[in-house]
Amino acid sequence: MSLLDIDDLSVDYRTAAGSLRAVDHVSLRVESGEAVGIVGESGCGKTSLGLSIPMLLPDNAAIASGSITLQGRSLVGLSESELNALRWTSVAFIFQGAMNALNPVQRVDRQILEAITAHDKNASRDESYQRVLELLDLVGIAPSRAKSYPHEFSGGMRQRAMIAMALACRPSLLIADEPTTALDVISQAQILNLLASLRRSNSLSVIMISHDLSAIKRVCDRIIVMYAGVIVESGSTEQVLGRHGELASAQHPYTHALIRAHPDLRGERVLAEGLAGHPPDLSTTIVGCRFADRCPSVMDLCRRVEPPVVAVESGHVARCHLAVRAK
Amino acid sequence: MSDLNELATVGVERRARRGIWRSLWHDPMGRSGIILLAVVLFVIMIGPIIFPFDAQSFGTSSASILQAPSRAHWMGTTELGQDVFRQVLVGGRISLYVGLSATLIAIVLGAGLGLISGYYAGWRDTVLMRVTDFFLVLPTLPLIIVLAALFGQSILVTSLVIGLTSWPQTARIIRSQVLSLRERPLVQRVRSLGASDVRIMRRHILPNVAPLIFANLALVLSGAILAQAALAFLGLGDPVQVSWGTTLHNAFNSGAMSEGAWWYVMTPGVGIVVMVLAFSLVGHSLDRVLNPLRQGDQ
Amino acid sequence: MSLRYLSRKVTSLVVTLYVTVSFNFLLFHVLPGSPIQLLARSGHYDAAARAQLVKLFGLNRSLIDQYAIYLRNMLHGDLGFSYVYRKPVATVLGGAIGNTVLLVGTATVVTIVVGVWLGVMAASRAHTLTDASITVGSLALWSMPDFFTGMILIFVCGVWTHVLPISGLVTPGLVTGTWGHLVDVGKHLVLPALTLALVNAAEFSLISRNTLVDVMVEDYMLTARAKGISRRVIVWRHALRNAMLPIVTATALYVGMILGGAIQVETVFSWPGMGLLIYNSVVQRDYPVLEGSFLIFAIAVIATNFVSDLLYQVLDPRVRRT
Repeated sequence: MSLLDIDDLSVDYRTAAGSLRAVDHVSLRVESGEAVGIVGESGCGKTSLGLSIPMLLPDNAAIASGSITLQGRSLVGLSESELNALRWTSVAFIFQGAMNALNPVQRVDRQILEAITAHDKNASRDESYQRVLELLDLVGIAPSRAKSYPHEFSGGMRQRAMIAMALACRPSLLIADEPTTALDVISQAQILNLLASLRRSNSLSVIMISHDLSAIKRVCDRIIVMYAGVIVESGSTEQVLGRHGELASAQHPYTHALIRAHPDLRGERVLAEGLAGHPPDLSTTIVGCRFADRCPSVMDLCRRVEPPVVAVESGHVARCHLAVRAK
Repeated sequence: MSDLNELATVGVERRARRGIWRSLWHDPMGRSGIILLAVVLFVIMIGPIIFPFDAQSFGTSSASILQAPSRAHWMGTTELGQDVFRQVLVGGRISLYVGLSATLIAIVLGAGLGLISGYYAGWRDTVLMRVTDFFLVLPTLPLIIVLAALFGQSILVTSLVIGLTSWPQTARIIRSQVLSLRERPLVQRVRSLGASDVRIMRRHILPNVAPLIFANLALVLSGAILAQAALAFLGLGDPVQVSWGTTLHNAFNSGAMSEGAWWYVMTPGVGIVVMVLAFSLVGHSLDRVLNPLRQGDQ
Repeated sequence: MSLRYLSRKVTSLVVTLYVTVSFNFLLFHVLPGSPIQLLARSGHYDAAARAQLVKLFGLNRSLIDQYAIYLRNMLHGDLGFSYVYRKPVATVLGGAIGNTVLLVGTATVVTIVVGVWLGVMAASRAHTLTDASITVGSLALWSMPDFFTGMILIFVCGVWTHVLPISGLVTPGLVTGTWGHLVDVGKHLVLPALTLALVNAAEFSLISRNTLVDVMVEDYMLTARAKGISRRVIVWRHALRNAMLPIVTATALYVGMILGGAIQVETVFSWPGMGLLIYNSVVQRDYPVLEGSFLIFAIAVIATNFVSDLLYQVLDPRVRRT
């Protein structure tokens, strides 16, 4: 049994412009101890997909179809208190924007302590506080800094404190949404190393959401590429990005664009030329391939027929008319 | 959460394109405000023509004094035997007139000072904002009362007094908007091309703060009408021009309350509430439509 | 809180007070002509009153000298002499301040409790019928002049049902012990305090609803939800503390507003405080009392503003260092 099994999930948003499908019939499995990266531009639905797992979608969003099964338990339709019992103990979250994810007017140790005491009513205060200090130590924050307010930390420290908080209730799944965005290069490396080592030592499953393929590559076993609400390609990191020194074996033109858009050392993250324009309007019905308008290899067929999901090789699929099935 | 923010901005941009008036009409709050306002304006503009009020006609017998509502007097009579309904119809015009002229003064002052302060920044800003902050902490209604007591109570003086005390908040709001506008690349470029300050303000700044001024106008107007009513109620209204507040002053001081003459109190009172509510509904709705910072309301 | 911040704030407090006193001088001693002209206009003119004025404010001297004398008088708490009561203004005000503090204090407590509670209800059910009803209800209440709300309550609770006293501080002629006296004052306090609280709670609920709605979309609110904390705890522990910050900065405006309301409400309910004093001094053209009351009100607002600035420093750790 997989740890997490998302089947045929669709998420709709009500907006001033009408209904909008942010996640469109997405299926996804995460095995115990596995790290999966979800990559795509902003607006592709990756955050909505992540938020839907612990049912944290905003009020104007709703799950339109599909199921989410975590450790054999179906999450769609659970009551708020049932969900609260699961949140943080089974699924913990690290949010993008280390800046604001911590409450600015509460000390860091209190915020971590709150996570522990909210789920373990019997824990003694001293023991729980001891655990807070251990967790901070684990991420490299000295006990003397425990009583700081978030603004007294650097961006990297805030994100490490966030990770410490995420581990507070020993979750089996950790969802990290853009954990390194807006951090300096050194902090980025620290956070990625920390995530990579944590998942190995704690047999933790990780879903890492990012627009940055190089960050995902450092942590994840498997990569899922999303575009305009659908998965356009997925496979093991090697299958999608190629083994060391090899050319990328990605099949979808969008994945290629993302690979070429690798951020350089100065942190530039511009998509390659030929990818001007925006993803399609998700509030309308899309005929054919969603990527057709921006695709450098677009064919007449792409605008008429939605591409099938092609199994390139075992575990590697791409949603493109040009994808080639390996022999 | 860039994804979610992006979803939110889709709404904002569409809203901007649709035009402020249409989004105002689409907001239930804004729509009810506009309808209410139309009703009030219609009643106080047309009403006195159909039901004229003669201030010189008094009740002739003691039986005609403080009469309960009847077919002859829809909203009863005053302690002088005058028709409450007709008096209130005329009074609305005075309340609105004072409110409008006071608001005009306050907005011109507030927006003007806010523009200058935000656009020029520097020492002008420092000086103007010190002055603004000083007036902001002075308790407004007590100050209005003092000024009216010292300088007279004709509707002209009342308008001046309310207008001259109601501008600081507008100045603050406009200033902060202008401060961010002047940093925009377009404004910076036009400026470096040598456009005059007046031209930049008229072409690039003013059109962008105009909707904000409008939202603020509705709220200042509500406050001005309330202030005028309070002044008149406290006996500082124009004795000749009987506004709603003056009618309530008369009702209160003539002992109509202990006589149980509710109609004498409710008619002008409800008039004030409805008019103020109409303006503040429109103001709040405009504020909601315009304020991109209020993300939670998108 | 750093000493530098404190000293800067105290300096600005002193400057503001000085400007306020000077503004008062301008308003009452320069703009209308002179205090003697005011006295003449008031209808209380007599030679003795005139002589007293001239002596107290040095009116036979130059304007600069008058200003210096005025400042000195203010420093000594000498606010002039009431035309009507024939007593020092300070004495007249002293008898009224306590009653206003009682009324405004009670109303403020009710305002904060009810206003914040309504704001939380509306914000945590944002964009539902509850939210809309609270918002529109608050707007409607806010649109009512304080004196009109008071008059309605007089009809409902006094004239028609006689459940509560509608006038004054105590029942005239009632002889009881201390306890009975307190109960009597308490009963008289209910309607004026309720009137003041209604309008202000409406404003408060609108402000706290809007700031809460803004706070609710912050990332740390999502973190709190992800942690599996119940919505109630999230709102009261995480949202409210953050939402309080903008409310605290609006305190000065609130005090100015509630004092304006107190003038109307004390007039309607004949509550013998500063507001009624202002009304009476307006009616009787007792300018020195009006001047003194206005000064006290202005100082009260400036002082609360000062306190709220300091409070903000305590509440928001982010500004504490500056």
